[in-house]
Amino acid sequence: MTTLLDAPVDTSAWTIGPPRLLAGLDRAERLDAAAHLATHGPLPGSDLRLLLGHLDAARLTGRGGAGFPLAAKLRALTGGARRVVVNGTESEPTSRKDRTLLRRTPHLVLDGALAVAHATGAREVAVAVHDERSAESVRAAAAERPDGRQVRVHLTAGGFVSGEARAVVRALDGGPALPPGRRTPPTATGTLVSNVETFAQLALLLRLGPRRFADTGTHAEPGTALLTIGGAVARPGVVEIPLGTPLGIVLAAAGAPVLPQAVVVGGYHGSWLAPLPQLRLGREGVAAAGGTFGAGVVLVLDGATCALGELATVTGWLAAESAGQCGPCRFGLSALAADVAALAAGRPAVAAAFGHARTVDGRGACSHPSGAARFVTSGLHLLQDEADQHLAYGGCGRPVLGQLPVGGAR
Amino acid sequence: MTATLSVDWTRCDGHGLCAALLPDAIVRDEWGFPIVRAGAVDASDEADVRRVVAACPALALHLEQR
Ligand code: SF4
Ligand code: SF4
Repeated sequence: MTTLLDAPVDTSAWTIGPPRLLAGLDRAERLDAAAHLATHGPLPGSDLRLLLGHLDAARLTGRGGAGFPLAAKLRALTGGARRVVVNGTESEPTSRKDRTLLRRTPHLVLDGALAVAHATGAREVAVAVHDERSAESVRAAAAERPDGRQVRVHLTAGGFVSGEARAVVRALDGGPALPPGRRTPPTATGTLVSNVETFAQLALLLRLGPRRFADTGTHAEPGTALLTIGGAVARPGVVEIPLGTPLGIVLAAAGAPVLPQAVVVGGYHGSWLAPLPQLRLGREGVAAAGGTFGAGVVLVLDGATCALGELATVTGWLAAESAGQCGPCRFGLSALAADVAALAAGRPAVAAAFGHARTVDGRGACSHPSGAARFVTSGLHLLQDEADQHLAYGGCGRPVLGQLPVGGAR
Repeated sequence: MTATLSVDWTRCDGHGLCAALLPDAIVRDEWGFPIVRAGAVDASDEADVRRVVAACPALALHLEQR
Protein backbone atom coordinates (compact mmCIF):
# COMPACT_ATOMS: atom_id res chain seq x y z
CA MET A 1 0.00 0.00 0.00
CA THR A 2 1.04 3.60 -0.60
CA THR A 3 2.46 5.18 2.50
CA LEU A 4 4.35 8.10 1.02
CA LEU A 5 4.26 11.07 3.32
CA ASP A 6 5.30 14.62 2.92
CA ALA A 7 6.25 14.56 -0.75
CA PRO A 8 5.32 17.71 -2.69
CA VAL A 9 1.85 17.64 -4.17
CA ASP A 10 0.43 20.03 -6.71
CA THR A 11 -2.20 22.18 -5.05
CA SER A 12 -2.60 24.71 -7.86
CA ALA A 13 -6.21 25.73 -8.21
CA TRP A 14 -8.49 27.71 -10.50
CA THR A 15 -12.20 28.31 -10.87
CA ILE A 16 -15.00 28.40 -13.42
CA GLY A 17 -17.46 31.06 -12.30
CA PRO A 18 -16.94 33.06 -9.11
CA PRO A 19 -14.79 31.32 -6.50
CA ARG A 20 -16.40 30.33 -3.20
CA LEU A 21 -14.30 27.69 -1.48
CA LEU A 22 -11.25 29.00 -3.30
CA ALA A 23 -12.02 32.69 -2.68
CA GLY A 24 -8.92 34.66 -1.81
CA LEU A 25 -6.51 31.98 -3.04
CA ASP A 26 -5.75 33.89 -6.23
CA ARG A 27 -4.01 36.47 -4.05
CA ALA A 28 -2.51 34.38 -1.26
CA GLU A 29 -0.94 30.95 -1.05
CA ARG A 30 -2.66 30.30 2.29
CA LEU A 31 -5.35 32.17 4.22
CA ASP A 32 -4.40 32.62 7.87
CA ALA A 33 -7.06 33.67 10.41
CA ALA A 34 -6.89 37.36 9.46
CA ALA A 35 -6.96 36.73 5.71
CA HIS A 36 -9.77 34.19 6.19
CA LEU A 37 -11.90 36.74 8.07
CA ALA A 38 -11.14 39.45 5.52
CA THR A 39 -12.18 37.10 2.68
CA HIS A 40 -15.20 35.31 4.14
CA GLY A 41 -16.33 37.46 7.07
CA PRO A 42 -17.21 36.13 10.52
CA LEU A 43 -19.11 32.86 10.94
CA PRO A 44 -22.67 33.50 12.16
CA GLY A 45 -23.71 31.56 15.27
CA SER A 46 -25.89 28.50 14.75
CA ASP A 47 -27.67 25.73 16.59
CA LEU A 48 -28.77 22.26 15.52
CA ARG A 49 -32.17 23.39 14.25
CA LEU A 50 -30.74 26.12 12.05
CA LEU A 51 -28.02 23.80 10.83
CA LEU A 52 -30.49 21.08 9.84
CA GLY A 53 -32.80 23.61 8.18
CA HIS A 54 -29.95 25.03 6.11
CA LEU A 55 -28.63 21.58 5.20
CA ASP A 56 -32.05 20.36 4.09
CA ALA A 57 -32.70 23.48 2.03
CA ALA A 58 -29.28 23.33 0.36
CA ARG A 59 -29.34 19.52 -0.02
CA LEU A 60 -25.72 19.38 1.03
CA THR A 61 -24.28 15.91 0.47
CA GLY A 62 -20.95 14.43 1.52
CA ARG A 63 -18.16 15.26 -0.90
CA GLY A 64 -15.92 12.31 -0.18
CA GLY A 65 -17.53 9.99 -2.72
CA ALA A 66 -20.58 8.32 -1.22
CA GLY A 67 -22.66 11.50 -1.42
CA PHE A 68 -24.74 10.86 1.69
CA PRO A 69 -26.82 13.88 2.86
CA LEU A 70 -25.10 15.54 5.82
CA ALA A 71 -28.46 16.30 7.47
CA ALA A 72 -29.32 12.58 7.51
CA LYS A 73 -26.01 11.80 9.20
CA LEU A 74 -26.70 14.43 11.85
CA ARG A 75 -30.18 13.01 12.45
CA ALA A 76 -28.71 9.52 12.84
CA LEU A 77 -26.80 10.72 15.92
CA THR A 78 -29.71 9.78 18.13
CA GLY A 79 -27.53 9.07 21.14
CA GLY A 80 -25.82 12.46 20.88
CA ALA A 81 -22.44 13.29 19.40
CA ARG A 82 -19.13 12.55 21.01
CA ARG A 83 -16.79 13.49 18.25
CA VAL A 84 -16.74 15.12 14.83
CA VAL A 85 -14.23 13.61 12.41
CA VAL A 86 -12.95 15.52 9.40
CA ASN A 87 -11.81 12.87 6.94
CA GLY A 88 -8.84 14.44 5.18
CA THR A 89 -7.11 11.19 4.26
CA GLU A 90 -7.95 11.76 0.56
CA SER A 91 -7.06 8.21 -0.33
CA GLU A 92 -8.21 8.46 -3.95
CA PRO A 93 -4.74 8.62 -5.50
CA THR A 94 -5.39 11.35 -8.08
CA SER A 95 -7.54 13.59 -5.88
CA ARG A 96 -5.94 16.80 -4.56
CA LYS A 97 -8.94 18.87 -3.51
CA ASP A 98 -9.05 18.03 0.20
CA ARG A 99 -5.35 18.68 0.72
CA THR A 100 -5.72 21.93 -1.23
CA LEU A 101 -8.40 23.06 1.23
CA LEU A 102 -6.49 21.88 4.32
CA ARG A 103 -3.22 23.41 3.23
CA ARG A 104 -4.50 26.64 1.71
CA THR A 105 -7.78 27.55 3.45
CA PRO A 106 -7.87 25.47 6.65
CA HIS A 107 -10.10 27.89 8.60
CA LEU A 108 -13.02 27.28 6.24
CA VAL A 109 -12.83 23.55 7.04
CA LEU A 110 -12.50 24.18 10.79
CA ASP A 111 -15.43 26.65 10.72
CA GLY A 112 -17.72 23.92 9.38
CA ALA A 113 -16.44 21.17 11.68
CA LEU A 114 -16.57 23.35 14.80
CA ALA A 115 -20.09 24.52 13.90
CA VAL A 116 -21.22 20.88 13.80
CA ALA A 117 -19.43 20.16 17.08
CA HIS A 118 -21.07 23.17 18.70
CA ALA A 119 -24.55 22.27 17.42
CA THR A 120 -24.34 18.61 18.46
CA GLY A 121 -22.48 19.08 21.73
CA ALA A 122 -19.48 17.05 20.54
CA ARG A 123 -16.40 17.78 22.62
CA GLU A 124 -13.77 16.92 20.06
CA VAL A 125 -13.02 17.67 16.43
CA ALA A 126 -10.56 15.13 15.02
CA VAL A 127 -8.91 15.90 11.70
CA ALA A 128 -7.51 12.72 10.14
CA VAL A 129 -4.84 13.21 7.48
CA HIS A 130 -2.21 11.13 5.73
CA ASP A 131 0.31 13.89 5.01
CA GLU A 132 2.50 16.10 7.15
CA ARG A 133 1.89 19.39 5.35
CA SER A 134 -1.88 19.25 5.78
CA ALA A 135 -1.42 18.28 9.44
CA GLU A 136 0.92 21.25 9.95
CA SER A 137 -1.49 23.67 8.29
CA VAL A 138 -4.45 22.53 10.41
CA ARG A 139 -2.42 22.63 13.63
CA ALA A 140 -1.30 26.19 12.84
CA ALA A 141 -4.87 27.23 12.05
CA ALA A 142 -6.25 25.67 15.25
CA ALA A 143 -3.61 27.51 17.30
CA GLU A 144 -4.83 30.79 15.83
CA ARG A 145 -8.43 30.55 17.00
CA PRO A 146 -10.03 30.56 20.45
CA ASP A 147 -12.18 27.49 19.70
CA GLY A 148 -9.14 25.62 18.31
CA ARG A 149 -8.41 23.79 21.57
CA GLN A 150 -11.10 21.25 20.64
CA VAL A 151 -9.23 20.33 17.48
CA ARG A 152 -6.94 17.27 17.36
CA VAL A 153 -4.92 16.42 14.29
CA HIS A 154 -4.27 12.73 13.64
CA LEU A 155 -1.51 12.00 11.17
CA THR A 156 -1.39 8.38 10.04
CA ALA A 157 0.02 6.52 7.09
CA GLY A 158 -2.27 4.57 4.83
CA GLY A 159 -3.37 3.49 1.39
CA PHE A 160 -6.60 3.56 -0.59
CA VAL A 161 -8.93 1.59 1.69
CA SER A 162 -7.66 3.13 4.94
CA GLY A 163 -9.45 6.34 3.90
CA GLU A 164 -12.85 4.67 4.21
CA ALA A 165 -14.83 6.37 7.00
CA ARG A 166 -15.05 3.33 9.30
CA ALA A 167 -11.36 2.54 8.80
CA VAL A 168 -10.50 6.14 9.73
CA VAL A 169 -12.53 5.91 12.93
CA ARG A 170 -10.92 2.57 13.79
CA ALA A 171 -7.45 4.09 13.35
CA LEU A 172 -8.41 7.09 15.53
CA ASP A 173 -9.41 4.66 18.28
CA GLY A 174 -6.02 2.98 18.15
CA GLY A 175 -6.97 0.03 15.93
CA PRO A 176 -5.72 -0.94 12.48
CA ALA A 177 -6.67 1.42 9.61
CA LEU A 178 -8.84 -1.27 8.02
CA PRO A 179 -12.59 -1.43 7.43
CA PRO A 180 -14.30 -3.52 10.15
CA GLY A 181 -16.18 -6.65 9.12
CA ARG A 182 -19.61 -5.70 10.45
CA ARG A 183 -21.39 -2.78 8.90
CA THR A 184 -21.98 -0.56 11.94
CA PRO A 185 -22.14 3.10 10.94
CA PRO A 186 -19.89 5.47 12.99
CA THR A 187 -22.99 7.49 14.01
CA ALA A 188 -24.05 4.51 16.18
CA THR A 189 -21.16 5.32 18.51
CA GLY A 190 -21.67 9.08 18.47
CA THR A 191 -19.11 9.85 15.79
CA LEU A 192 -19.94 12.03 12.82
CA VAL A 193 -17.48 11.52 9.96
CA SER A 194 -17.51 13.62 6.84
CA ASN A 195 -15.17 14.77 4.14
CA VAL A 196 -13.06 17.95 4.24
CA GLU A 197 -14.95 19.68 1.43
CA THR A 198 -18.32 18.95 3.06
CA PHE A 199 -17.33 20.94 6.16
CA ALA A 200 -15.96 23.78 4.04
CA GLN A 201 -19.22 23.88 2.05
CA LEU A 202 -21.12 24.03 5.35
CA ALA A 203 -19.04 27.03 6.41
CA LEU A 204 -20.11 28.78 3.19
CA LEU A 205 -23.73 27.74 3.66
CA LEU A 206 -23.86 29.20 7.19
CA ARG A 207 -22.55 32.51 5.88
CA LEU A 208 -24.60 32.71 2.69
CA GLY A 209 -27.85 31.10 3.85
CA PRO A 210 -29.59 28.53 1.64
CA ARG A 211 -30.98 31.07 -0.87
CA ARG A 212 -27.72 32.71 -1.77
CA PHE A 213 -25.96 29.34 -1.54
CA ALA A 214 -28.29 28.22 -4.37
CA ASP A 215 -27.43 31.21 -6.59
CA THR A 216 -25.20 28.84 -8.49
CA GLY A 217 -25.40 25.14 -9.33
CA THR A 218 -28.59 23.30 -10.30
CA HIS A 219 -31.95 22.97 -8.60
CA ALA A 220 -31.23 19.42 -7.44
CA GLU A 221 -27.62 20.20 -6.55
CA PRO A 222 -27.13 23.80 -5.48
CA GLY A 223 -23.73 25.39 -5.05
CA THR A 224 -20.27 24.54 -6.25
CA ALA A 225 -18.01 21.51 -6.13
CA LEU A 226 -14.30 20.91 -6.34
CA LEU A 227 -12.90 18.76 -9.12
CA THR A 228 -9.40 17.45 -9.44
CA ILE A 229 -8.56 17.37 -13.12
CA GLY A 230 -5.58 15.49 -14.51
CA GLY A 231 -4.27 13.28 -17.27
CA ALA A 232 -3.80 14.75 -20.77
CA VAL A 233 -4.55 18.39 -19.92
CA ALA A 234 -2.43 21.54 -20.07
CA ARG A 235 -3.76 22.89 -16.74
CA PRO A 236 -4.12 20.07 -14.23
CA GLY A 237 -5.17 20.90 -10.70
CA VAL A 238 -8.13 21.61 -8.48
CA VAL A 239 -11.06 23.44 -10.08
CA GLU A 240 -14.12 24.92 -8.40
CA ILE A 241 -17.18 24.69 -10.65
CA PRO A 242 -20.87 25.44 -10.33
CA LEU A 243 -22.52 22.01 -9.96
CA GLY A 244 -23.94 20.89 -13.31
CA THR A 245 -21.24 22.59 -15.42
CA PRO A 246 -20.91 20.75 -18.77
CA LEU A 247 -17.81 18.59 -19.17
CA GLY A 248 -16.96 20.34 -22.47
CA ILE A 249 -16.51 23.68 -20.67
CA VAL A 250 -14.28 22.16 -18.03
CA LEU A 251 -12.18 20.29 -20.60
CA ALA A 252 -11.71 23.43 -22.72
CA ALA A 253 -10.70 25.48 -19.68
CA ALA A 254 -8.27 22.78 -18.58
CA GLY A 255 -6.63 22.68 -22.00
CA ALA A 256 -7.69 19.14 -22.91
CA PRO A 257 -7.33 17.92 -26.52
CA VAL A 258 -10.31 18.72 -28.76
CA LEU A 259 -11.13 15.04 -29.15
CA PRO A 260 -10.08 13.10 -26.04
CA GLN A 261 -10.14 9.33 -26.26
CA ALA A 262 -11.99 8.89 -22.96
CA VAL A 263 -12.50 10.39 -19.53
CA VAL A 264 -12.41 8.66 -16.17
CA VAL A 265 -14.84 10.35 -13.78
CA GLY A 266 -14.94 9.64 -10.05
CA GLY A 267 -11.42 8.26 -9.78
CA TYR A 268 -10.41 4.62 -9.61
CA HIS A 269 -13.68 3.56 -8.02
CA GLY A 270 -15.42 5.55 -10.73
CA SER A 271 -16.16 5.00 -14.40
CA TRP A 272 -14.75 5.31 -17.88
CA LEU A 273 -17.07 7.51 -19.91
CA ALA A 274 -17.19 8.79 -23.46
CA PRO A 275 -16.06 12.46 -23.34
CA LEU A 276 -19.47 13.92 -24.20
CA PRO A 277 -19.24 17.73 -23.95
CA GLN A 278 -22.81 18.01 -22.65
CA LEU A 279 -22.26 15.65 -19.69
CA ARG A 280 -23.11 17.68 -16.60
CA LEU A 281 -20.61 17.38 -13.78
CA GLY A 282 -22.31 16.63 -10.49
CA ARG A 283 -23.82 13.56 -8.89
CA GLU A 284 -27.01 13.79 -10.93
CA GLY A 285 -25.46 14.40 -14.33
CA VAL A 286 -22.75 11.77 -14.04
CA ALA A 287 -25.26 9.21 -12.75
CA ALA A 288 -27.45 9.93 -15.79
CA ALA A 289 -24.44 9.09 -17.98
CA GLY A 290 -24.05 5.77 -16.13
CA GLY A 291 -21.15 6.80 -13.89
CA THR A 292 -20.53 8.06 -10.38
CA PHE A 293 -19.27 11.55 -9.53
CA GLY A 294 -17.41 10.25 -6.47
CA ALA A 295 -14.95 12.76 -5.05
CA GLY A 296 -14.89 14.79 -8.27
CA VAL A 297 -11.83 13.40 -10.03
CA VAL A 298 -11.79 13.90 -13.83
CA LEU A 299 -8.93 12.28 -15.77
CA VAL A 300 -8.50 12.81 -19.50
CA LEU A 301 -6.98 10.31 -21.92
CA ASP A 302 -5.86 11.54 -25.33
CA GLY A 303 -5.32 9.48 -28.48
CA ALA A 304 -1.59 9.01 -27.91
CA THR A 305 -1.82 6.52 -25.08
CA CYS A 306 -2.85 2.86 -25.06
CA ALA A 307 -6.07 3.08 -23.09
CA LEU A 308 -6.27 -0.66 -22.52
CA GLY A 309 -2.76 -0.55 -21.06
CA GLU A 310 -3.84 2.32 -18.80
CA LEU A 311 -6.81 0.23 -17.66
CA ALA A 312 -4.49 -2.72 -16.95
CA THR A 313 -2.07 -0.56 -14.95
CA VAL A 314 -4.81 0.82 -12.71
CA THR A 315 -6.45 -2.60 -12.26
CA GLY A 316 -3.10 -4.01 -11.11
CA TRP A 317 -2.78 -1.12 -8.69
CA LEU A 318 -6.33 -1.69 -7.36
CA ALA A 319 -5.50 -5.35 -6.73
CA ALA A 320 -2.36 -4.36 -4.84
CA GLU A 321 -4.39 -1.91 -2.73
CA SER A 322 -6.71 -4.65 -1.47
CA ALA A 323 -6.16 -4.84 2.26
CA GLY A 324 -6.22 -8.61 1.76
CA GLN A 325 -8.48 -9.31 4.72
CA CYS A 326 -11.49 -10.46 2.66
CA GLY A 327 -11.12 -13.55 0.46
CA PRO A 328 -13.14 -12.52 -2.60
CA CYS A 329 -11.37 -9.16 -2.71
CA ARG A 330 -7.90 -10.58 -2.19
CA PHE A 331 -8.14 -13.39 -4.76
CA GLY A 332 -10.75 -11.85 -7.05
CA LEU A 333 -8.98 -8.55 -7.69
CA SER A 334 -5.71 -10.34 -8.50
CA ALA A 335 -7.58 -12.53 -10.97
CA LEU A 336 -9.28 -9.48 -12.45
CA ALA A 337 -5.95 -7.70 -12.82
CA ALA A 338 -4.48 -10.75 -14.56
CA ASP A 339 -7.42 -10.82 -16.99
CA VAL A 340 -7.04 -7.17 -17.94
CA ALA A 341 -3.27 -7.54 -18.30
CA ALA A 342 -3.85 -10.52 -20.60
CA LEU A 343 -6.28 -8.46 -22.69
CA ALA A 344 -3.76 -5.65 -23.04
CA ALA A 345 -1.21 -8.24 -24.16
CA GLY A 346 -3.59 -9.39 -26.89
CA ARG A 347 -4.96 -12.57 -25.32
CA PRO A 348 -8.69 -13.31 -25.16
CA ALA A 349 -9.92 -12.56 -21.64
CA VAL A 350 -12.95 -10.28 -21.95
CA ALA A 351 -15.43 -12.87 -20.67
CA ALA A 352 -13.14 -13.84 -17.79
CA ALA A 353 -12.74 -10.19 -16.80
CA PHE A 354 -16.49 -9.54 -16.79
CA GLY A 355 -16.96 -12.76 -14.82
CA HIS A 356 -14.40 -11.86 -12.16
CA ALA A 357 -15.81 -8.33 -11.92
CA ARG A 358 -19.21 -9.86 -11.16
CA THR A 359 -17.68 -12.26 -8.65
CA VAL A 360 -16.05 -9.56 -6.54
CA ASP A 361 -18.89 -7.04 -6.72
CA GLY A 362 -20.37 -6.40 -3.27
CA ARG A 363 -18.34 -9.14 -1.59
CA GLY A 364 -16.05 -7.41 0.90
CA ALA A 365 -16.07 -5.45 4.12
CA CYS A 366 -15.70 -2.19 2.21
CA SER A 367 -16.64 -0.89 -1.23
CA HIS A 368 -13.20 -1.51 -2.74
CA PRO A 369 -14.17 -4.61 -4.74
CA SER A 370 -17.39 -2.99 -6.00
CA GLY A 371 -15.51 0.17 -6.97
CA ALA A 372 -12.84 -1.82 -8.78
CA ALA A 373 -15.52 -3.85 -10.57
CA ARG A 374 -17.24 -0.68 -11.72
CA PHE A 375 -13.96 0.79 -12.96
CA VAL A 376 -13.02 -2.30 -14.98
CA THR A 377 -16.50 -3.03 -16.34
CA SER A 378 -17.02 0.54 -17.55
CA GLY A 379 -13.55 0.50 -19.12
CA LEU A 380 -14.18 -2.75 -20.95
CA HIS A 381 -17.51 -1.44 -22.28
CA LEU A 382 -15.93 1.74 -23.57
CA LEU A 383 -12.81 0.08 -25.00
CA GLN A 384 -14.39 -2.76 -26.99
CA ASP A 385 -12.77 -1.65 -30.26
CA GLU A 386 -9.36 -1.41 -28.58
CA ALA A 387 -9.79 -4.89 -27.11
CA ASP A 388 -10.63 -6.26 -30.59
CA GLN A 389 -7.59 -4.52 -32.03
CA HIS A 390 -5.32 -5.89 -29.30
CA LEU A 391 -6.69 -9.37 -29.90
CA ALA A 392 -6.15 -9.12 -33.67
CA TYR A 393 -2.70 -7.49 -33.67
CA GLY A 394 -1.32 -8.15 -30.19
CA GLY A 395 -1.56 -4.46 -29.32
CA CYS A 396 -2.33 -1.04 -30.75
CA GLY A 397 1.22 0.21 -31.25
CA ARG A 398 0.75 3.03 -28.73
CA PRO A 399 2.76 3.31 -25.52
CA VAL A 400 1.15 3.44 -22.08
CA LEU A 401 1.81 7.07 -21.12
CA GLY A 402 0.59 6.92 -17.52
CA GLN A 403 -2.24 9.39 -18.07
CA LEU A 404 -3.94 7.47 -15.27
CA PRO A 405 -1.22 7.77 -12.64
CA VAL A 406 -0.87 5.32 -9.77
CA GLY A 407 1.02 5.76 -6.52
CA GLY A 408 2.92 9.03 -6.36
CA ALA A 409 3.06 11.93 -3.97
CA ARG A 410 0.75 12.51 -1.06
CA MET B 1 -40.02 -12.79 6.73
CA THR B 2 -37.43 -11.37 4.40
CA ALA B 3 -34.05 -12.37 5.64
CA THR B 4 -30.59 -12.55 4.25
CA LEU B 5 -27.37 -14.19 5.29
CA SER B 6 -24.55 -11.71 5.53
CA VAL B 7 -20.95 -12.82 5.50
CA ASP B 8 -18.31 -11.03 7.53
CA TRP B 9 -15.62 -11.23 4.86
CA THR B 10 -12.87 -10.30 7.30
CA ARG B 11 -13.61 -13.58 9.16
CA CYS B 12 -14.66 -16.08 6.50
CA ASP B 13 -11.88 -18.50 5.61
CA GLY B 14 -13.65 -20.06 2.65
CA HIS B 15 -13.51 -23.70 3.68
CA GLY B 16 -17.12 -24.05 2.64
CA LEU B 17 -18.87 -25.77 5.53
CA CYS B 18 -21.87 -23.48 4.98
CA ALA B 19 -22.22 -24.49 1.34
CA ALA B 20 -21.99 -28.17 2.28
CA LEU B 21 -24.76 -27.79 4.88
CA LEU B 22 -27.07 -25.64 2.77
CA PRO B 23 -26.26 -26.48 -0.86
CA ASP B 24 -29.55 -25.12 -2.20
CA ALA B 25 -28.90 -21.65 -0.85
CA ILE B 26 -25.11 -21.30 -0.81
CA VAL B 27 -22.70 -22.02 -3.63
CA ARG B 28 -18.96 -21.42 -3.68
CA ASP B 29 -16.89 -19.19 -5.94
CA GLU B 30 -13.73 -20.47 -7.63
CA TRP B 31 -11.70 -19.84 -4.46
CA GLY B 32 -14.23 -21.52 -2.18
CA PHE B 33 -15.84 -18.42 -0.70
CA PRO B 34 -19.61 -18.56 -0.27
CA ILE B 35 -22.09 -16.96 -2.63
CA VAL B 36 -25.51 -16.69 -1.00
CA ARG B 37 -28.09 -17.00 -3.75
CA ALA B 38 -30.66 -14.20 -3.90
CA GLY B 39 -33.90 -15.09 -2.13
CA ALA B 40 -32.47 -18.46 -1.12
CA VAL B 41 -32.67 -17.80 2.60
CA ASP B 42 -36.39 -17.15 2.46
CA ALA B 43 -36.91 -20.36 0.52
CA SER B 44 -34.98 -22.39 3.12
CA ASP B 45 -36.19 -23.69 6.43
CA GLU B 46 -35.33 -21.09 9.06
CA ALA B 47 -34.07 -23.70 11.52
CA ASP B 48 -31.62 -24.97 8.88
CA VAL B 49 -30.37 -21.46 8.26
CA ARG B 50 -29.86 -20.87 11.97
CA ARG B 51 -27.94 -24.16 12.23
CA VAL B 52 -25.56 -23.04 9.48
CA VAL B 53 -25.02 -19.70 11.18
CA ALA B 54 -24.14 -21.51 14.40
CA ALA B 55 -21.95 -24.05 12.61
CA CYS B 56 -19.65 -21.57 10.83
CA PRO B 57 -16.27 -22.17 12.53
CA ALA B 58 -15.17 -18.58 11.86
CA LEU B 59 -18.37 -17.00 13.26
CA ALA B 60 -18.61 -15.21 9.92
CA LEU B 61 -22.31 -15.69 9.20
CA HIS B 62 -25.11 -13.46 10.43
CA LEU B 63 -28.82 -13.75 9.79
CA GLU B 64 -30.19 -10.32 9.03
CA GLN B 65 -33.88 -9.51 8.91
CA ARG B 66 -34.71 -6.93 6.32
S1 SF4 C 1 -13.01 -5.59 0.72
FE1 SF4 C 1 -10.85 -5.67 0.19
S2 SF4 C 1 -10.07 -3.65 0.57
FE2 SF4 C 1 -12.05 -3.80 1.64
S3 SF4 C 1 -11.57 -4.47 3.70
FE3 SF4 C 1 -11.91 -6.33 2.53
S4 SF4 C 1 -9.90 -6.93 1.74
FE4 SF4 C 1 -9.72 -4.82 2.46
S1 SF4 D 1 -18.66 -21.84 6.97
FE1 SF4 D 1 -18.13 -19.74 7.59
S2 SF4 D 1 -15.93 -19.57 7.27
FE2 SF4 D 1 -16.63 -21.41 6.17
S3 SF4 D 1 -17.00 -20.68 4.06
FE3 SF4 D 1 -18.94 -20.56 5.16
S4 SF4 D 1 -19.00 -18.47 5.96
FE4 SF4 D 1 -16.89 -18.85 5.37
